[in-house]
Parts: sequence; structure tokens; C-alpha cells
Amino acid sequence: MTVFSSSEMASEVFGRLFGVLLEDEQFVEKARRESLSVQLVHSKPDCRIFVSSEGVVLGDEVPFKAAITLKMTCDTAHALWMGRLLVPAAIATGKVRIRGRIAKVLELVPLLQPAFDSYPAIAAESGVGA
Amino acid sequence: MTIDVPADLSPELNFDTLPPEVQQLKEEARTFAQEIVQPQVRQLDQAPAEDFDWDVVRRGHEIGLTRAAVPTDYGGLGLGMLGVATALEEVAAVCPGTALVFGATMLGQAPLLLSGDPRLQARYLPLFSGDEPVLACNAVTEEDAGCDLIIPANAPHARNVMTARRDGDQYVLTGRKRFITNARFAAFASVFANMEGSPGATGLTSFIVPLNLPGVVRGPVADKMGYRACLGSELEFNEVRVPAENMIGGEGEGMPINMAQSNMARAAVAGISTGVARGALEQAVTWAGERVQGGELLHRHQFTAAKLAEMSAKVDAARLLYLHAANTVDTQLPPPAYEPAVAKLFADRAAIDVADTALSLVGARGYLRSYGVEKMLRDAYGTRIYEGTPEVLALTITESLYSGDDAE
Repeated sequence: MTVFSSSEMASEVFGRLFGVLLEDEQFVEKARRESLSVQLVHSKPDCRIFVSSEGVVLGDEVPFKAAITLKMTCDTAHALWMGRLLVPAAIATGKVRIRGRIAKVLELVPLLQPAFDSYPAIAAESGVGA
Repeated sequence: MTIDVPADLSPELNFDTLPPEVQQLKEEARTFAQEIVQPQVRQLDQAPAEDFDWDVVRRGHEIGLTRAAVPTDYGGLGLGMLGVATALEEVAAVCPGTALVFGATMLGQAPLLLSGDPRLQARYLPLFSGDEPVLACNAVTEEDAGCDLIIPANAPHARNVMTARRDGDQYVLTGRKRFITNARFAAFASVFANMEGSPGATGLTSFIVPLNLPGVVRGPVADKMGYRACLGSELEFNEVRVPAENMIGGEGEGMPINMAQSNMARAAVAGISTGVARGALEQAVTWAGERVQGGELLHRHQFTAAKLAEMSAKVDAARLLYLHAANTVDTQLPPPAYEPAVAKLFADRAAIDVADTALSLVGARGYLRSYGVEKMLRDAYGTRIYEGTPEVLALTITESLYSGDDAE
């Protein structure tokens, strides 16, 4: 039984989450300075999110090819953002697969704290299982 | 069974042109190797085992070799394994022991880079951008456990592995590590210990351990056959108390982290082996271009020409393999296992073969310690041992041949 019952639910939750991140000046400045763009490809259910310093785009259509691509199931994403699955283990065990300039990815991870802080509330508001 | 050929090789990969920042460090590393290390290489090799040349290390630190992979936000060069491997090839072409001082430091930093933990990164990574050089080390190997700590299938059978137990907001570490490069002087170690109660090494867990903590004892330096410019020694942990926040990942998650950092490191180690092979080739080419026998320069004799051709081909092939491996490591997480293992397997063998043939070509003079060729052969055997023996690499490669895509 997956945490998200539909692609729409997953898109809504993760879309809101990255909206929170784009309100963080440090993250936006870093993304702009490094020309970073990220495409998250979630599965089970399918859900795609494109994030850049310009904003969040949901769905398959993207403004340009992302510099970094992250692949994981929605359940893995939920566990990560809830803090139940730690980043190094997720990466080392292949639960999260990343393509792109890895040095830049590793620099970006520490700036995700606002998203980690916000996610439990966003998930709860959307009725996502605890 | 079909073997997939990757269709999406990075468009940034260009065997003729490196990214500018990578090319810059490569050139600076070459200058450092030729102008700073080369004049000291015999002294570095023949000094007593406990001797360590901080002046040489300081000069390498000044060009960034202690922080090549550290993010720029923490004062590093922000390069990936491509930058590290190409720079270490340059240094290793003169002295792989000196190259390993910097390589082992980067390996000690690797769990911090993978952690994504801003507090730990902010605490430890800026150490490497000060005026004075700071070293790190990676503490995995033990008296009774070497390959057992890097082959997951072996983990249940590992014996007498260093232990960790939780006590409040600390972990208490007890055990001993052996053959740890830089342990004598490192500021901290990335340490892998098994959670008490877990059989073998099934509870392997990763910690960042400052080496000035009570209970840490830096043991005797090993008197090695080669790689004598770097020091390998023991580290003893007598109920060392480490803050719980210094754990990387969670309890029992150390094996995949160890494997991930090994996969990253092997691309760079293949660069070191390639450097050893290249250094030996250069000495052989010089000799065969000066020595006259039978009225001809040595290289005009067909037997010699055939050997030089084989040696040169092996060096170039080793380089192409590690460039490809480093590029895949820099563009994928988790770091791939196959390409770095292939690169290291080939380069390690090439280093021994090329150094051995160089010694043969140079003849009697090659047998003299003063000439430097025998040093390259002694050094060549070292890379075959650390960061994955040929046997471990073979298991890794074969596992990749038979595994499908295990993405969820």
C-alpha cells in the first residue's frame, strides 16, 4: 500500500514542498548562481516535478533539460522528507538515483533544510499517511 | 544475456579537452610533482618509515590537493573525481606515496560529502582550507577483517570487528584499525565500526571521529615495501566517546556507505596506478632513447620497440578507463560500481606490468636504488592491495554483469 493514492495527490504535495524551498533566499541564490535545475521523477505513483530558481513546473513538460535528475519512488521521497530515511543511506543503497553534476548536488543537499522542516505539516494537511 | 551499452554518455566527456578547472589543477599538480616532489623523491623513499615530509605536503596543500573535492562553500575546489584523479596521476608519476597522502585525505572526507549534513560539513570541511595542511584518514581495515568489510556477502562472517554501542547521546567505540594511511597525523578519521550485538559486520556503522578524543591511540607506523612517502599505521580506540550526531547515516548503514565511497575512490586510485605506469614508462623511454647497443639506440631494436609499444598502450588504455570511470562517478549517485572497478583492475595490473618491463629494459642500472626504477615497481604492488584487491574487483565486476537495473 503506497503512501500516495494518486499522481495528483503526490504532485500537489511535492509541488507545495518545493514552493516552500523557493521562498528560501539561500536556496534560490545558490540555484541561480550555479544555474541549477532539478527534475524529480517519482514513481508509484508517477509524478514529475521540475524545479529551478524560476519556479516549479509539474508534469512531463519542462522548460528545458534539467541539470540534475533524481529518481525515487513516492514512498522513498515521503520517508526522506519525514526524516525516516537518511540521505547517505538513501543514496548509497540506490533508493535515490541521481544523474547530473554530483558535486553540485552534494552542495545543494544541506540547503534543503526548510523543506525538511515543512514537509510533515504539508503531508498532514494533504492527508498523506504518517 | 545481453550487456547493455550505455547510450547516454555524458556529452561533457571529451578525451581531448578537460574542463578548465580540472585542467588547471592537473597542470599545477604536474608542476608540484616535478619541481617540489621530484627533487625529494629518493629521500622520501629511503628515509626511515616514521619520517614524514610536511614541507612537501604543505606545497601540495597550497595548490588545493587536500581539498580538491571539498565544496567551494567550505573553501574547497569543488571538483569531482575527474579533477582528483587527473591531479593524482600527475603526482603519482613521480611519487605515488605523496599522491596517496592527498588521496587518503579525500577518502576520509568522502562520508562527510555523502552525508548531506550541513552541521558536520560545516564543522569539519573548512579545516582543509587553512594556511597549514590538515589531513584526514579513512579507518576500515582491521587485523582480522579486510575484504570482509567491503564485500557485503562476507559481512556475517567478519571476525573481531571494532564495536560501537549507544550510550545516551554518544556512541562508544572500541577496537583497532590497521594499515590506515595518514592515521599518524590526521585531524579526524571516518571510522567504520559494528554495532554491538550485530553478528560479524552486519551492523557496520560510519562515524566521524576526531583523533584528539580521549581513548584514541595512534599506533606504530608500518615499514612498507613501497609508498614510503605516506605513513600507514594503527589506530586504537579505547572506549572512545563520539557525539551521536557524528554518525553518518543510521546504525547498520555503514556497509553501503563504505561501498559508495570505495566506488568513488577507485576511479581516483586508478589515476594513481596510471601515474605509476606512466612514470615507469617515461624512465624507460628516456633510457631507450639514450642507450646505444649494437650500434643503435635501444628503441630501434625490435624487441625493445615491442615492449615500449605495449607499455605505452597500457598507460593510455588505463588513462581512458579512469577518465571514463571518474566521469560516471561525477554524474551518477549512487556511484557506479562497474566502471571504477574495471578502471582500477586494469590500471593496477598495468602499473605492475609497465614497471616490471621498465626495470627489465633499464637493466643493471634499474636494479640500483639510486636510479629510481625499482622504486616504481615496489610502489606498483601497493595499489593492487588497497581500495579493492583484484579478487574483490573481479567479484564487483561480475556482480554488475549479472545484475539488472535495481532501481525501484
